[in-house]
Amino acid sequence: RIDPYGFERPHDYESYKEMMNEYVAVLNRRSLRWSRLLQESPHVEKSLTVKRYVRKGVPNEHRARIWMAASGAQERLESSPGYYRSLLAAEHRAPLRDAIRADLHRTFPDNILFRSEASLQSSLFNVLVAYGHHNKAVGYCQGMNFIAGYLIIITKDEEKSFWLMEALLARLLPDYYSPAMLGLKTDVEVLSQLVRMKSPAVGQLMAQYPGIWTLVASRWFICLYVDVLPIETVLRIWDCLFYEGSKVLFRVALTLVLHHQQEILRARCLPDLCQCFRHITGGAFSLDCHSFMQKIFSEPGSLSMTTVDKLRDRCRKQIQEDES
Amino acid sequence: MEAIWLYQFRLIVIGDSTVGKSCLIRRFTEGRFAQVSDPTVGVDFFSRLVEIEPGKRIKLQIWDTAGQERFRCRSITRAYYRNSVGGLLLFDITNRRSFQNVHDWLEEARSHVQPHSIVFLLVGHKCDLEAQRQVTRQEAEKLAGAYGMRYVETSARDAINVEHAFTELTRDIFALVRSGDITIQEGWEGVKSGFVPNVVHSSEEVTKSDRRCLC
Repeated sequence: RIDPYGFERPHDYESYKEMMNEYVAVLNRRSLRWSRLLQESPHVEKSLTVKRYVRKGVPNEHRARIWMAASGAQERLESSPGYYRSLLAAEHRAPLRDAIRADLHRTFPDNILFRSEASLQSSLFNVLVAYGHHNKAVGYCQGMNFIAGYLIIITKDEEKSFWLMEALLARLLPDYYSPAMLGLKTDVEVLSQLVRMKSPAVGQLMAQYPGIWTLVASRWFICLYVDVLPIETVLRIWDCLFYEGSKVLFRVALTLVLHHQQEILRARCLPDLCQCFRHITGGAFSLDCHSFMQKIFSEPGSLSMTTVDKLRDRCRKQIQEDES
Repeated sequence: MEAIWLYQFRLIVIGDSTVGKSCLIRRFTEGRFAQVSDPTVGVDFFSRLVEIEPGKRIKLQIWDTAGQERFRCRSITRAYYRNSVGGLLLFDITNRRSFQNVHDWLEEARSHVQPHSIVFLLVGHKCDLEAQRQVTRQEAEKLAGAYGMRYVETSARDAINVEHAFTELTRDIFALVRSGDITIQEGWEGVKSGFVPNVVHSSEEVTKSDRRCLC
């Protein structure tokens, strides 16, 4: 009852296996296509074809390579030889070390690869401490442990995980993890506005509960859906994240909300709503990663980068005003 | 049928990272204990009914907060402080630093809740780990006394005093509501009044109504 990534699945192993039995045909087809593509152009330059390929899923055997290439992490790694090693060798501040250590044994306790200190826990510590030392303004923020953990599972390489982390925090994501968390608060607000646009009824309901979006969506954004959605689905989302950027996070959130509108609208109070939002991330809808990914590009309708940028600008300014 | 409650109180649980906030709440609301639990990212929410006197039920809404400092930044947790009537301030009896930080937590809470105030209970958690104790009961009681709070030692693992801690706090708040020291206010979520059992004529009426929360 352990999945290929080392996670024990005592509760949904059967449905996971069932889904994978069907998904394997898709994977084989994608795998062939990708091999051919990579033979023709080994450098994975950005194009409409590659974008389409990415949206249909990167086979696991190519994931590390595609993520590294698409995010610019590979380039940084090659232009900074020895940098990761030097970060590890440096003297790290005790509060940084302590904060990371406190979370090591509680990161993926359900994963056999992370269970003992000799295991991937030491890689997790290294990647996080190296990143915290590299980016002192951010240091370590809870949530980064889950992200680094997935990166290590997929790349099986600390240095690559470090550079992917760097790509995410420096370029792909807004400012989610710095002490002020302005980017996170902004995106939570942007999501609430987008919901109001796409589903006024849900928007109206949620407006009755101030702070509800922070409660519901902070975790979605900070953890990039790790431990929120099933792993296979998260990896598919990350394929798009590394290739196209953070807009996909809104597509996912919107799809979860829009697809479950009726359920959400039945909620009559805060506990109901919280329960409902816990519920909508589970089940067959999110487990079937291939159709889920198709839905995120159709169900929310058009979502242009211009719209997202404008909303982010406006919401950020509003938050800054409120806080000053 | 959903149970009927007299009042709803909102509580907040705060304290350093890894003192066991989520474990304590889960023990109280779900009756179980996990050896290892994920760090809380952002805010989490739980609820449970408690009966403080026969027939007098209070609905508790419990907000679990992240211990890491940056999640305490203003708009992430501020609204939760402001809208809480009570709180459990946790430290880990095997971790001296978490005890030393109690003062900071209290200051922070007080700065956020103005003009309201929060009834706090000081909780020394993980009291099953007596051998590793770094904070004596006497000094914790002294500190609680200085702040005008009660002090309770709990263990989520061994289910020691968990019910007691939440119930005592609920009783204290209830007494203050009764005496008029705490009043229900428009636009404040700390205390809300619920259904008074004797004005409800039949259970059907209660379950049919969709205008108010019964859960």
